[in-house]
Amino acid sequence: MLNRREAALSFGALWTALVVPAGALAQTTPTLAWTPKALSADQARTLDAVAETIIPATSTPGARAAGVPQFVDRAIGTWCTPADAGALKAGLDQIDADAKAASGASFAALAQAQQQALLARYDGEGKAFWRQLKELVTTGYFTSEPGATIALRYDPVPGDYRGCVPLKEIGRGWATS
Amino acid sequence: MANLNNRARAENTYDAIVVGSGITGGYAAKELTEKGLKTLVLERGRMVRHIEDYPTAQTNPWETKYPRGKLPKAEMDAHYKVQQRTGYAVTEFSQHFFVKDDENPYAETKSFDWIRGHHVGGRSITWGRQTYRHSDLDFEANAKQGVGVDWPIRYADLAPWYDKVERFIGVSGQKEGLSQLPDGVFQPPMEMNCVEKAFKASVEEKLSRRITIGRAAHLTAPTEEQLALGRGKCQHRNLCVRGCPFGAYFSSNAATLVAAERTGNLKIRPNSIVTELIFDPKANKASGVRVLDEQTGETMEFYGGVIFLCASALSSAWILMNSTSRRFPNGFGNESDQVGRNIMDHHLGVGAVGEVPGYEDMYYSGRRPNGIYIPRFRNLGDAASARKDFIRGYGYQGGAGRMGWDRPIAGVGAERKAALSQPGPWMFRLGGFGEILPYADNRITLNKAAKDKYGLPTLTFDVSIRENEKAMRKDMAAAAAEMLEAAGFKKVIAGDQGYSPGLGIHEMGTARMGRDPKTSVLNAHNQMHECRNVYITDGAAMTSASCVNPSLTYMALTARAAAHAVEAKKRGEL
Repeated sequence: MLNRREAALSFGALWTALVVPAGALAQTTPTLAWTPKALSADQARTLDAVAETIIPATSTPGARAAGVPQFVDRAIGTWCTPADAGALKAGLDQIDADAKAASGASFAALAQAQQQALLARYDGEGKAFWRQLKELVTTGYFTSEPGATIALRYDPVPGDYRGCVPLKEIGRGWATS
Repeated sequence: MANLNNRARAENTYDAIVVGSGITGGYAAKELTEKGLKTLVLERGRMVRHIEDYPTAQTNPWETKYPRGKLPKAEMDAHYKVQQRTGYAVTEFSQHFFVKDDENPYAETKSFDWIRGHHVGGRSITWGRQTYRHSDLDFEANAKQGVGVDWPIRYADLAPWYDKVERFIGVSGQKEGLSQLPDGVFQPPMEMNCVEKAFKASVEEKLSRRITIGRAAHLTAPTEEQLALGRGKCQHRNLCVRGCPFGAYFSSNAATLVAAERTGNLKIRPNSIVTELIFDPKANKASGVRVLDEQTGETMEFYGGVIFLCASALSSAWILMNSTSRRFPNGFGNESDQVGRNIMDHHLGVGAVGEVPGYEDMYYSGRRPNGIYIPRFRNLGDAASARKDFIRGYGYQGGAGRMGWDRPIAGVGAERKAALSQPGPWMFRLGGFGEILPYADNRITLNKAAKDKYGLPTLTFDVSIRENEKAMRKDMAAAAAEMLEAAGFKKVIAGDQGYSPGLGIHEMGTARMGRDPKTSVLNAHNQMHECRNVYITDGAAMTSASCVNPSLTYMALTARAAAHAVEAKKRGEL
């Protein structure tokens, strides 16, 4: 068996090869690499771009590579209350409509800087749907395998407990407490 | 026909019957089978086999059905109306170890949080594993203060049984030499983290209050006996509530039932709801129990020379109240009218949190399934610790940790992602566990008008905390904040989240031990005053609550009672 450290490193290399370079500009509406179950095609495209804007690919995978849009789609379909699910769908519609009103293009087709600016505005306004969307994307990411094992550190069976360890030995936050 | 009946009766006859398979039922089964008694364990819920019936024990964070394993609100509201009041217990990882409230109704004259699981192992699978001894401060308090009735035993009576139980179950902890929290047989203690060590140093220096690591029923250096049972060292996963595939924390399933099974004297019958004790007026003792098979709906009887009720404080009391006869019209062994009264728990949900400045370059490795413990420091018998506003005391559980990726950070994008990928600030929290006094009118009653799905009567709860507990809660919040501030922590917030009885999940007192049959149900050996072959050793037996987690005391009482029963049986007294 690979030791866990080696396994995590090889994962890292794999994921880095798969993700889109962080600075790439999205210009045309991308085709979706997954099929939504709860959302419309338009809502799913918006979610896909929103999730990647909240958690972009950097030196570690982003939300899209971690399957976060699918996670949120599933949560809306099977976990959220009907009221919350409705608010999240309406919120995604609103994000797209606001993008079109401001820039004449769908949210997914905006340049990264425009996407960030629009979502930063929602973040400042603190709308309920936005708080829940951001939380779901964040949860989906940090509980995903790439999020937990590459962005964070995950050890399913630590063995020992050591109470005082220099952070630099661990390097990142633990995925679970 | 007579022959057939005799054979059926013989097949259903055991030396001993144990009702319940949780922390005390398991212990009774171990002790009785090891002493050679053919023992039947009746469990109302389904079978749970160690390891193979822990379906979520290895589930990774990305393998959950729902975000973080939290169940949808509709499912929680439909099935876990009461169980969800804990806020933490029922998740995708643990729901199979908790009852569905819609199938297990009861009435609340006042709010009572009855948190439970019906399955082999009971709450020994989901318990908090904190393990402390009562002291003579506890055993003498009722008599000294004129509260309730006097315990018929003292610490010296129970001390050797504490030793025995700790040696078997495995308890990690630190000796402290405190009279209010006697030391035990400990495996090596778990380590405090940097912040906890600093907190300990400053609170002990400035406030003279002892800080110790939690005493927890986890193996840190397993003995030969524990290894032979298939148990291993704690792996610090902190996923205990899912069942431990390493058998590293104590449960009936990992330990006592395994030991009992190996004697060849154990028979476990799951799906068996004990509805009544059967009283034999000729012999003037209990001849056995009546059982409703949960799956077939069949009613049957099992017979035994000695019967241990270990169904939990509330369920054992239910069985007594539901067992009426000409001899016991008011419930089995209940001439004292104390059955179902004096319900106690530990009141909690009050304490303080603070943010710890500094230590940004320090972290920890592994997930310690344990915290720190602050032993009781109020009303210890000396002038310095005496309080005018309440009697008895409380302890704290808590600890320090760094905030994780789920902390709120404004904005979106790479900077926020990078910040959340690193640990957040250190936080420190303290939560009190306070003693509740025994009040005779804190009680359950049997409601024959409201039946459950089996057609069995249900319980009605009328339990509340009083002035003593309320005054104690104020001090629990204030003293927690005082310690966090003494340690130099910032943004200290003390608070009371409110508490309904039951939320401590330490129900006690419904068939208390005592010296006088007129005012108590059990004698000094957990034997019913009015029926000597029935022993009750779960939380029902408790005469007072102390402020420490009770499971260890239940097990010590169980082991002691089992030894007594075996000797009494040999002498022909049962």
